[in-house]
Amino acid sequence: MLKVNNLYAGYGIVPVLEDVSLSVSAGEILLIGGENGAGKSTLMRAIAGFNKPTKGEVLLDGKPLQGMAPEAIAQSGLRLVLDGHRVFPELSVYDNLRMGAAARRGDKAAFNRAVEQIYDVFPILKEKHRAYARDLSGGQQQMLALGQAFVAQPKVLLCDEPSMGLAQALLPPILSFLRNWAESGTAVVIVEQHLKVTAPYADRAMIIERGKVKFTCRASELDEKLGLAETAEVVH
Amino acid sequence: MTVSKTMAAGAQAAQNKGVKARFNSDLPQVWIGIALIAVTGFLPTLLGNSYWVHTFHIVNIYIAAAIFQNFLFIDAGQKSFGQGVLLGLGAYVTAIFFGMHGYSFAAASVMGLLAAFLGGLLFALPALRVQYFHLGFVTLSAAIVFPQLLMTLDKWTNGINGISVAVPWLHHEVIFGLSWLTILIAIYPMLALALHYGIRNSRLGRQMRVAALSPEAARTLGVKPGVMRFIAFIIASVGTGICGILYLPAVSFVSPQGFNMEMSFLFFMAVVVGGRGQLLGPIIGMWVVFILPNVALVEYVDYRLLIYGTLTLLTVVLFPDGIVGTIERKRKARSIHGRGEKAFRIDPFLERLKGTAEHRPSESEYAVEVRNGVKRFGAVVAVGGVNMKVRKGEIHGLIGANGSGKTSLLNVLSGLSRLDEGSFLINGQDATRMAADRIANTGLGRTFQTPRIFTQMSLWENLRIGLDASTTNASEGIRQLAAQLEAEFGQDNAELLSHGQRRLVEVMRVVLKEADIILFDEPAAGLSQSERADFAKLVRFLSRNLGKTIILVEHDLDLVWNIADTITVLEQGKAVASGSPEAIARDPAVQHMFVGGARA
Amino acid sequence: MLSEIAIIVVRGVAIGSIFALIAMSFNIVHGATGILNFAQGNMFVLGGFAAFFFANQADVSWWLLMMVVSGLLVAALVTFQGWITLLPLRSAVEQDSWIISTMAASIILGAILMITQGPFAYTVQSVVPSFRVLGVRTPGAYALAIGAMLFWYFALRFFLRKTLLGLAISAISQDLDAARAAGLPVRRLQLIAFAISGLIVGTAGFLVAPVISVSPDAGMRYVLNGFVATVVGGVGSNLGTLIGGPLVGVVAMLTAYKIGGSYQDLASLLVLVLILMVRPQGLFGRTTARRV
Repeated sequence: MLKVNNLYAGYGIVPVLEDVSLSVSAGEILLIGGENGAGKSTLMRAIAGFNKPTKGEVLLDGKPLQGMAPEAIAQSGLRLVLDGHRVFPELSVYDNLRMGAAARRGDKAAFNRAVEQIYDVFPILKEKHRAYARDLSGGQQQMLALGQAFVAQPKVLLCDEPSMGLAQALLPPILSFLRNWAESGTAVVIVEQHLKVTAPYADRAMIIERGKVKFTCRASELDEKLGLAETAEVVH
Repeated sequence: MTVSKTMAAGAQAAQNKGVKARFNSDLPQVWIGIALIAVTGFLPTLLGNSYWVHTFHIVNIYIAAAIFQNFLFIDAGQKSFGQGVLLGLGAYVTAIFFGMHGYSFAAASVMGLLAAFLGGLLFALPALRVQYFHLGFVTLSAAIVFPQLLMTLDKWTNGINGISVAVPWLHHEVIFGLSWLTILIAIYPMLALALHYGIRNSRLGRQMRVAALSPEAARTLGVKPGVMRFIAFIIASVGTGICGILYLPAVSFVSPQGFNMEMSFLFFMAVVVGGRGQLLGPIIGMWVVFILPNVALVEYVDYRLLIYGTLTLLTVVLFPDGIVGTIERKRKARSIHGRGEKAFRIDPFLERLKGTAEHRPSESEYAVEVRNGVKRFGAVVAVGGVNMKVRKGEIHGLIGANGSGKTSLLNVLSGLSRLDEGSFLINGQDATRMAADRIANTGLGRTFQTPRIFTQMSLWENLRIGLDASTTNASEGIRQLAAQLEAEFGQDNAELLSHGQRRLVEVMRVVLKEADIILFDEPAAGLSQSERADFAKLVRFLSRNLGKTIILVEHDLDLVWNIADTITVLEQGKAVASGSPEAIARDPAVQHMFVGGARA
Repeated sequence: MLSEIAIIVVRGVAIGSIFALIAMSFNIVHGATGILNFAQGNMFVLGGFAAFFFANQADVSWWLLMMVVSGLLVAALVTFQGWITLLPLRSAVEQDSWIISTMAASIILGAILMITQGPFAYTVQSVVPSFRVLGVRTPGAYALAIGAMLFWYFALRFFLRKTLLGLAISAISQDLDAARAAGLPVRRLQLIAFAISGLIVGTAGFLVAPVISVSPDAGMRYVLNGFVATVVGGVGSNLGTLIGGPLVGVVAMLTAYKIGGSYQDLASLLVLVLILMVRPQGLFGRTTARRV
């Protein structure tokens, strides 16, 4: 269960996020949308520790995470899959997966099971398990990045723009993987540009505009609410 | 320490009188430094203590060398572990010509100076190409090789026996018992200090500092960072070479063992411990690092290096600002003057530049044209065959998702990146192969996503570097504007500026540069609603009142639609649409960019 | 004539192996932290001192044991030095303090050695007898140097590609943020990288003690030649060190035989300047900037 209360964050003295609050429970997917530059990535980075919030708190099952180093936060059970499908280019697919679980000691059996699950969902990774990650396509690297986070069995997963740089057709398999993952008991947050494609897989949605939360609603109501919001602006 | 109290008290008093406190204490430091050198240079003679006369001869020569090291370190950003070589070249070559071949001291000095200059080239030439630790190793290498060569080339240097010199006329008493040598050795570091201050406050000095702090920003301001490094090394080499020439008569005997790495380390460490970048730093640093072990703990001379090293390590880990730096930091904290909450507004200043003409985008002339531009980073195609035309005087918006190629394209246009295929023109001239500084000099200016504001320089100096970058003589309007800005912001600290204000400083900088094409890289990021509204007005002013061409890479679609004359949409490295805002808003190909539907 | 060439090549490659070892120790720390440790030269010489004090004229089994001890001691010292160097880098303001602090550490170590041991070089007896190669009588320690270079090249290759710990250290050098996001304990891994670099030079110095100058001022020359070897091969590439090291070594020997022994370091300096002007990234280097 992830709770973010009144978060303020930015880069150096550049303020980006203003008074952002959200919550995600185990088993649900929160979709965060908004235009480029709205602050979505900054929000993800601030929660995951890459960015020190200037005010506010981030609570994982009640434990405060704000101010901790990113690796410590990852070890506590909150994983961020960075935007841009970042994996370790000089390591093989299998070794990349090993790195995902490296911080957690022991339990080889659980790791192997998780790897099998990944190979089931993304067979291409099994096929290329010896290949260097740099030789994979962007889509395959994104699958690998998700796999890397999956083997760590985190309590909370943050996924920053999984569709970036990928062909449209690759998004549904990734999204259904995330849906299943959430249903197995993980709290998932997805930041996405392509709301129409992603909303059906999510439970709730939130729109960020210029660093502030514009509104939150159920994913099924998103289309409607966005239409209303646009009309309101035009009238104004 | 009394020095800080004096400075702080002065600052308080000045502020109370309604006069602003100084931005930095460079000038008072120069005066204090000159006073300290005068006292230690002249007093021992007047008191008749020959031990201290000799000691301070060495100290003051070393101080001069440390001053040049300080200049090289901070004003040019170069870490040299080999300045001792340059002093050694000055001393030894002079000794060879004077002591071994009978030239006059003056003629021999010229040879010594030449040798130091050539030695400086050995550092300066690689500096044209590389930076960082590579150069540190080159200089360190030279510091090791130099004494070896002095030994081995004994046919020329007399090897291990060294060279004795006697320059009697230098020791003649001139006035008050002071010899020529004492006077020269006291005056030279004063000159060095004044020179350092002078360079720092000159156009060259500012450009050097910007090149050291942000080579990227420097290039967009028409400066070649490599050339700046080169010039800095030459200045430091010649200056340190002269130290060597004075060193010779002060010690009367030179031998290879006297010019090992230790000397180079000494200069470097005096700068670090004294406070790097502080004008007074080398003086205080040299006193602490040299006098303390050599004089106070005279039995422990073997422990010299141990003390230098330990002091330096402690300084770097615990007090990175050094002695004078820590004091200066405290002074600044107490008497800082900056904008803070008061708005840094530039509208009133810009109003003065307003002409009568209302400029409209040209129908026929293009400021920027991109023809089939391709830019790759390894296997990734950032820009994949883009065609774009920007009319003179128009506001051209460039939008697209992250990774669509906008920033890559901007970097290509400003010359920071090179196209792999295709070409682009600026004002009709092919700029595809032009270096960034040359493109800047054709009249292009840009801002960066993170404003390049240099807190080591005052607010006015941050603006002034724009003026420095202009290639033509400033127009009357610009000159008056500059004078006003200097009067208003001359002593202000740039550190306190909010992000939005820093953005404005960058804009004013390109205005002072008299750039007629301005590239904005995500300028609205981090700005509040009202700041964005002000920024939009500013951009319109630049275009309609000053006739500038604006290319705006931006995520804030409301802002772009508000002010752009033309919008180009980039997606995965290709321009998928280009036209008027109305046309783009209706274009089905770009609908997915808008959250929740069409843009009115 | 032929024998002279043979001597130059054999000795050159052997001396070059030492430089390659120092270069490899640079690479592992640089990959993990972006730092080039100036103090490696003196740490290397420390290994030589260990050979003199712990295993001079000892039998082989004791010698081997002491080699391991020497490696561990130097590893511990380098780790401590690394920790101090990394301290100021927590606050992202002082990003280049490492140049000064590693230089200061090198000077402190050299000074301590000078004070406690005096300026003279110690002679260490060789455990391995001399042998003939290409008709040239060659000190046994040279064979050890070449052997150590090859051993560490393959050992590091195995470590960095096959073991979990090595993969993690390698991962940090490839993408620091991704490593953080994966929960890898970055600072701890960086210190381990320092420890490994200490192990390399500590054992190397011990091994080649009979043929190097075991004196307090020798450290600088080794760190410099090690650096030239690194740059020639390309910073970050251990394969590059296998070529860069022997290349620098052969140039040094060539200079020593044809021009004079005291010009060796000058030759290295000129090689460095040449490479920086002509091909700064070396033979196999990457040009990516590193952040700590």
